[in-house]
Amino acid sequence: MAVLAPEVRSAAPRWLIRHETLLAAILLVALVILGLFNERFLTVDNLLNQGRLMTEVGLLALPMTFIIITGGIDLSVGSIVGLCAIMLGYSWKNLGFPLPLAIAFAIGVGGVAGFVNGLLITRIRVPPLIMTIATLALYRGLAEGISQARSVRNYPEWFFFTGQGEWLGVPVQLWILLVGIIVAGIALDRTTFGRTLYAIGNNETAARFSGLPVDRVKLVVYTLSGLAAGLSAWVLVSRVTTTRSDMGSGYELDVIAAVVLGGTSIFGGVGTIWGTVVGLVMIQLLKNGLALTGVKGDATIIVIGAVLIASTLIASSLHGRREVAG
Amino acid sequence: MKQFMKHRMMKTAALAILGAAMVGGSAVAADKWDGGDDLPTSPLACDAGPAAAAAAKPYDGGQSTGAPDKAGKPITLVDVPKLIGIGYFNATSKGMQDAAKEIGNVKVTTDGPTEAKIDEQIKFIDNYITRGVDGILFAANDPVAITPVLKKALSKGIHVVGYDANSQPDARQWFINQAQFNGIAKAMVDAMAKEVGEDKGFAIVTSTFTTPNQARWIAEMSAYAAKCHPKLKWLETVEAQEDNVLSFNQATTLINKYGDKLSGLFGMTSVATPASAEAVTKAGLCGKLAVVGLATPNAMKPYVNAGCVKSVVLWNPVDLGYAATYVMRAVVDGKLKPGATSVDAGKLGKLNVINGSEILLGSPFIFTKDNIKDFDF
Repeated sequence: MAVLAPEVRSAAPRWLIRHETLLAAILLVALVILGLFNERFLTVDNLLNQGRLMTEVGLLALPMTFIIITGGIDLSVGSIVGLCAIMLGYSWKNLGFPLPLAIAFAIGVGGVAGFVNGLLITRIRVPPLIMTIATLALYRGLAEGISQARSVRNYPEWFFFTGQGEWLGVPVQLWILLVGIIVAGIALDRTTFGRTLYAIGNNETAARFSGLPVDRVKLVVYTLSGLAAGLSAWVLVSRVTTTRSDMGSGYELDVIAAVVLGGTSIFGGVGTIWGTVVGLVMIQLLKNGLALTGVKGDATIIVIGAVLIASTLIASSLHGRREVAG
Repeated sequence: MKQFMKHRMMKTAALAILGAAMVGGSAVAADKWDGGDDLPTSPLACDAGPAAAAAAKPYDGGQSTGAPDKAGKPITLVDVPKLIGIGYFNATSKGMQDAAKEIGNVKVTTDGPTEAKIDEQIKFIDNYITRGVDGILFAANDPVAITPVLKKALSKGIHVVGYDANSQPDARQWFINQAQFNGIAKAMVDAMAKEVGEDKGFAIVTSTFTTPNQARWIAEMSAYAAKCHPKLKWLETVEAQEDNVLSFNQATTLINKYGDKLSGLFGMTSVATPASAEAVTKAGLCGKLAVVGLATPNAMKPYVNAGCVKSVVLWNPVDLGYAATYVMRAVVDGKLKPGATSVDAGKLGKLNVINGSEILLGSPFIFTKDNIKDFDF
């Protein structure tokens, strides 16, 4: 818990702007360099396609930004994606739900899964890290148990529209992500809800004494995270046409990497949606650009890791003073 | 911090949750062997060699549209296996390089995910489509999920040939079938029955229940055993991804769980088989508990030479990669067209077309103590 609440409050906006500008500048330089190496990289086709591939992780990164701003974490998102994907396929194939209902049901299951996280975190005060490590195992186990590890296939053609179709020349799921980004951005920046998140992250005790509905807001953000995982599962199943219980495994790390790279402090109280979006785009395009330039898969992972460390170093060397956490 | 006061409570809660996760994750036993798929099976005859040839099927593969004519010209291929960095796909990759060297005007690069994950594999293929190659060789992590991206490749004039693990037929032009599923199933079950006896119990260590090859083999093994070795007792199938440590742990768990009731272990992947052999060795049950499985010879040499494992069933993955490259060259050159009945594959000679758009590599091969030293992959 940060003890510098007043100072951070006044320093935060300027610092944020600088971090994101810096990150955006690095991104731009990287894009230009990669673009020079390969003429197929900076094409509309490729960029839109990368947007398509980025959506599942992107949808998860928005509520994750909220959660990390409150000083929490949600490691179970990847497992919730797996659980929702299975519930979508299972309820459609085995329970005989009509497909639109199955989609709504799957997203609902995601919401419940997130709500359970939030409930135990706020009521029993299980630390979010421990609670969501536990549900990371629990939800994945449920997904495997319910599906009996069998995959569900043969969805009707219209179902693939979300994951593979286009609207006005832009991949459908990218529209969903764009709406999500705008809504999340406004919610964080312009509403009481958003300000409450920062207040909780800066000093939870103070927020409680100020009469802010700390527990209710936390419950909401974890539930949102679950709902986003359900949405992400729908997009993912529609894109890859198959439901498997191992879907979404490892997503939590990609999501957290994007959020943290985007300048959200893991200690809470600091962060923006715009930063998360830049972080997200940076990781995705870096992976893609490196692959197109002929860097092999294993080397790409090394480069991504190095970039994460480097950008964290740059950020903290600029703001060495403020990383004081309780 | 006040959170520490809640320490005990949260610990209990976390443990309860983890416990619940384990219960939720355990599979429920069924009558049919777990891990098989639901497709129809066609077990071979119990004693004879290869059964009568199946009825000819019309070509059911896809077509590459608008591909530039590169007959006889240099081509660049990319090979995207299920995952990279394991012996099996290193061997297929070596076969591709051998063939490329022989042919002369083919360049092949192998690149792929470090874990056998379908969405990662899709991203790799997608990136290579954008980058532009003449042909894609693949081994699918999921036959259906890989289909859209392969169709996209075909629609952009890229030739697509699969090996090892198929996609849906219309998403690729040809598929190199390393061995017919019923052939492998027969070899595996016969070897097991010969080693442990006809009325003993055995268990299976596989990758996941949905991996296409493994699911197909298990279904065929189940059918063949029911037909030819009805007294063999199947105890359980466990999933172990393609993970060394997990496979070892799963095999050890089976050994401890079933004790004397367990006389044999089937390893369904090149990771599960050596790990199972290692588990048997560590348990001191060499010679008492048989391991029969699919694996690459190098990984199995210590166990075969120590007498712990008597039969390793496989085809030659180097030949598989080699054939895939020759087939791709023939497709680009227009020598292998829909309706063809055979294709020329360098030192492998003529390979036959089966099932419409598949090319059969040959019969399965059983590595034993006598011949395993002749192989190095």
